Amino acid sequence: MTKKMTVALAGNPNSGKTTVFNNLTGARQHVGNWPGVTVEKKEGSRSYQGYHIKVVDLPGVYSLTAYSPDEVIARNFIIDEKPGAVVDIVDASNLERNLYLAVQILEMGAPLIIALNMMDIAESRKYRIDVNALSREIGAPVVPMVANRNRGTDELLKEIVKVSEKKTDVADVRIEYGREVENEIAKLEKLISQSPLSVNYSPRWLAVKLLEEDEEILKKFEDMKVG
Amino acid sequence: MASEEILRAKDESLAHLKSVYRDDAETVIADGRYGFISGLVKDILKKPPVERLTLSDNIDKVVVNRWLGIPLFLALMYLVFQFVFTLSVPFMDGIDQFFGWLGGFASGLSPGWLGSLLADGIIGGVGTVLTFIPPIFLLFIAIAILEDCGYMARAAFVMDQLMHKIGLHGRSFIPMIMGFGCNVPAIMACRTIENPRDRLTTILIIPFMSCGAKLPIFVLLAGAFFTAYQGLVVFSIYIIGVVMAIIMALIFRKSILKGPSSHFVMELPPYRLPTITGVLVHTWEGGRTFLTRAGTIIFIAVVLVWLLGSLPWGVEYASAESVIGRIGSFIAPIFAPAGFGQWQAAVSLLLGFLAKEVVVGTMGAIFAVEEGILGGTLTTQLGWTPLIAFAFMVFCLLYVPCVATIGTIRGETNSWKWTGFAVLYTIVVAWIIATLIFQIGSLSIT
Repeated sequence: MTKKMTVALAGNPNSGKTTVFNNLTGARQHVGNWPGVTVEKKEGSRSYQGYHIKVVDLPGVYSLTAYSPDEVIARNFIIDEKPGAVVDIVDASNLERNLYLAVQILEMGAPLIIALNMMDIAESRKYRIDVNALSREIGAPVVPMVANRNRGTDELLKEIVKVSEKKTDVADVRIEYGREVENEIAKLEKLISQSPLSVNYSPRWLAVKLLEEDEEILKKFEDMKVG
Repeated sequence: MASEEILRAKDESLAHLKSVYRDDAETVIADGRYGFISGLVKDILKKPPVERLTLSDNIDKVVVNRWLGIPLFLALMYLVFQFVFTLSVPFMDGIDQFFGWLGGFASGLSPGWLGSLLADGIIGGVGTVLTFIPPIFLLFIAIAILEDCGYMARAAFVMDQLMHKIGLHGRSFIPMIMGFGCNVPAIMACRTIENPRDRLTTILIIPFMSCGAKLPIFVLLAGAFFTAYQGLVVFSIYIIGVVMAIIMALIFRKSILKGPSSHFVMELPPYRLPTITGVLVHTWEGGRTFLTRAGTIIFIAVVLVWLLGSLPWGVEYASAESVIGRIGSFIAPIFAPAGFGQWQAAVSLLLGFLAKEVVVGTMGAIFAVEEGILGGTLTTQLGWTPLIAFAFMVFCLLYVPCVATIGTIRGETNSWKWTGFAVLYTIVVAWIIATLIFQIGSLSIT
């Protein structure tokens, strides 16, 4: 019997996300719209090791705030659909900026895999990236890739299956914001964990979002007040 | 746990953090993330001691140079227009001759109303529009090359400072440039603009970016009235569009859409040699819309024009006594102050609401002539001067966006109020500017 799972592809614009999507799904693609908005939604599928893997291409974004519709779409998909794995395509030649999105996905408590793409460009610039250390320090599996030459696709699929079966051996990592902020997060987290919203969202993430005065999350709390 | 309590606790936390850090919690948290990342990257990434400048860096020294950037951008745009017009003329003549021959053949084949429908209506109208395939495809090729090689991102970067002066962000510039191709994807591209006021302002000014469908109007009139300077005249029309967009953005950001503009680091991807497939695919994506519209909306419009021009049966085709002549005569006086108060002009503007290419197609159908002699017909039958032609071009540039664009504005703003506003203000602006050009121009000529 085939088992089903969903994978979301996230990544900055120009990170090679579309190429990875094509490598993963081949011709089995379907283009539609995200509900309620006219942003294009691409889906594809793939069979691998007895799994039927549905791949959803999220809009290319730099961050997961509530400031642009693209970011809200990407974020809501991760929260609402709870994909078995979220693959963040990271441009290895531009690590620092690309990791900002990875960190935010991590904070949401989503099962993150980092696809370290464009390794060839990083190598040609003589960058030396310690992939194992990256994986350990960020708390997520890391797969080096050169997507436009279709290198690393198989390794990525293996990692996807591993993550969805919760067989990955990477320890969780938490981003610390300093003692003062952590104190406030802890206070809010305690209150939030008794609220019905914590069923769907990680209380720590909600606390951070409240402190960031995230419009969408504020609205969710305010709506409950009325209801 | 009640939401009120959580929200109250949040406010307390925010006040506390503000007193400790003298900064918003949002900033402190973002700093925390950046700190985590920069520490992480230090651990795992070793860069060569001195990073040598890549080819992209060297090109950028010139292209995004503080002094050279903007002149270089303008020069490049001018070259694009020269390239488009010089190269397309022989192709246009060929297509024009073919439809001239086809029209003669069709009316000879079947005299009576069917022959008239085929020759005067369909072949005259659709043929005129199809003549503009060469310049439109060449323009799309040029835009595709500039985008694929990475120059467009530089253009946005170069314009960023200027854009901040008008209260917008460099990010608004890419959608504006895309507007030269087609307003519909341009308005959709505004989604990348984070600040809602920036976004709405950009959506409202994009219709002033002259889209590919308006090009036939300009090519036709510039070719007929400004033979020697047509490239320059069309270029000036585009510049007027950009200037009007800037002025309106300034006004909006100072009045109905007041507020600070956002700052954001802009991405400059490395230069890449555009691939032929990539350029062809992008050109085709843009050009296909034009072709399908020529086959659908424009086809329907020209048949409609022909029908209205032939009714009531028995009148001379498309004369002032025909239905179309009466509709046109009714609204024409509005345009008299701008110089083109003739009913033929009024009708083509009215139908241009469906799609801008239709303006030219309608004129072709009304006068039942091919594109090659349409310009001459405007002079002899309507008494148009170069000044009137220019005022008309400017009106076409600025007035109400086409139906598809209006639909997109509605979809993206999710507001009928802003959609209606976009429709109304563009008409008013177009009328004022066209009238000013005609009136001031007439004064200085006499």
